[in-house]
Amino acid sequence: MDYEMDIEPTGPQVTVREAEPYRVDFKLSSVDLSFANSLRRTILSEIPTMAIDLVEVEKNTSVLPDEFLAHRLGLIPLNSRNCDQDVEYTRDCDCEDHCARCSVTLTLYARCTVEDVMHVHARDLIVSGERANEWVGNPVVTDAQGLGPLICKLRRGQELKMTCIAKKGIAKEHAKWAPTAAIGFEYDPHNNLKHVDYWYEEDPAKEWPPSHNAGWEAPAPPDQPFDYDAEPNNFYLDVESIGNLEPDMIVQQGISVLQRKLASIISSLSGTEGADRNGIVDDDMMGVRSPDAYEPPEGIDGGFTSYAGGGASAWGASAATPYGATPYGAGGFGF
Amino acid sequence: MGPGIPSTAIFTLNKEDHTLGNLLRSQLLKNPRVLFAGYKVPHPLVPKVELRVQTDGEIAPKEAVTTACNELVKDLGILSREFTKEYELRKMVGATQQQQPNGNPDGQ
Repeated sequence: MDYEMDIEPTGPQVTVREAEPYRVDFKLSSVDLSFANSLRRTILSEIPTMAIDLVEVEKNTSVLPDEFLAHRLGLIPLNSRNCDQDVEYTRDCDCEDHCARCSVTLTLYARCTVEDVMHVHARDLIVSGERANEWVGNPVVTDAQGLGPLICKLRRGQELKMTCIAKKGIAKEHAKWAPTAAIGFEYDPHNNLKHVDYWYEEDPAKEWPPSHNAGWEAPAPPDQPFDYDAEPNNFYLDVESIGNLEPDMIVQQGISVLQRKLASIISSLSGTEGADRNGIVDDDMMGVRSPDAYEPPEGIDGGFTSYAGGGASAWGASAATPYGATPYGAGGFGF
Repeated sequence: MGPGIPSTAIFTLNKEDHTLGNLLRSQLLKNPRVLFAGYKVPHPLVPKVELRVQTDGEIAPKEAVTTACNELVKDLGILSREFTKEYELRKMVGATQQQQPNGNPDGQ
C-alpha cells in the first residue's frame, strides 16, 4: 500500500498480561482508537451465545409468578461453546418453530416434599433431546458446591415444572446473551493526550490515583510541549467471561464477527454493480429504506433493526416484529 | 452518487452502528486519496449508519471503502493470529509457574 505507514508498520500487536479461566487481560498496540473500540463493542454486544428464550410453564405453585421465573431462567448463563458454527439462529433455520439445530430444550422439574425450604438451582435444568453439540445449553456452574445460580425457593408441596427453549442470540437484542460480565478498556493511563479532563478539589494528581496500567507507559515529561498530533495506540483490555465461552474464544469471536461484518460490506459493494448505484449496503435486503434520513421507517415497525429478522413470532400468529422472530409481540421497540 | 459533488458518495449501512461507522471512517482517513470521510447515525433509535466518502478522483469512493474493508479484515486476521500466539504463550508460562511452588512472584 502507498499509505503513510506511520503507526502500523506490522499490524496489531498483542501482549497477554493475564490469562485465567474466566479472564484474559491483554494489551493491544499499533492500532488506532476506533479499531480497539470496535473490537470492544463487538465483544460486548455482538457475539452469539445461548440463553433461554422461551419458557413453557406446566406447573408453577411457587411464590414467584411465571414471568418472574421466565426472566430469571433467561439470565442463566448456558454453555455456548462453538455455538457460532454449530447452532443456527432460529429465525434462519428451516424448521417450523424450533429444532435441535437451532435450539436446546431444558426441562426443570422440582417439587418440595420436605419441611424445610428447598432451593432450585441451575444444575436442576436438564437438557433433553438432541442438540447441536455436546456442550451447548449446559448451565454454567462455577461455584464450589456445583449448584449454579439459584432460580427459586420452594416450601413443602410447592412444585415447578417447566420446559425451557434456549436459542442463539446476541446481546444487542437482549443482555442475557452477553458473553462478558465486563470489559475493561483503558488507554493513555497518564492522560498525556488530555482526552480526560479530571474533576478535582485541589490536586488531580493526588485525588486520581494512577491506574494499574500506569506502569506500562511513561508519563509525558512536564516541561515537554503538548503534542497536538499524538494519537493513542496502546489499549488495555480486560475481558471477563461469564463462563458460557472461554475468554480467548470471546476475543477470537469478536474478531471474526467484525470480519464478517466487513466482508458483507465488501460483498454488497462488489456484488450487483448496477443495482446499488446509491451505495446501499444491506445484508439481506429486508426492511424498507426511508428516503429521508431522519424519518423512522414506515411508522416504527416496518423497518429494519440490527437483529436481522423475518419469520413468525414464537407465539405463532402475529408475524414478524422488527426484531425478527422475537417472542415479545409485534410492534413498538419491544425492550 | 449522493450530494452532486464529484467523487463523493454516501453509503448507507443498514443494521449497523458506530462499531462499523467509526472503524471505516478512521480507516478511510488513512488513505491519502480520500479527501473526506465521515459518518453519522441519523437517529439513535434507527439502526442505520451513513458514511460519506469523498476521494480525489483517482479512485471511486466505492473502491476506497472496499480497500478500507479489506485492510481491516487483514488487520483483524493478524490480530487473531497474534492473540492466539500470545495467549498460548501466556498459558504455558502460567502452567510452569503453577508446577513449581513459589514460582509466581506476583502471586495473588
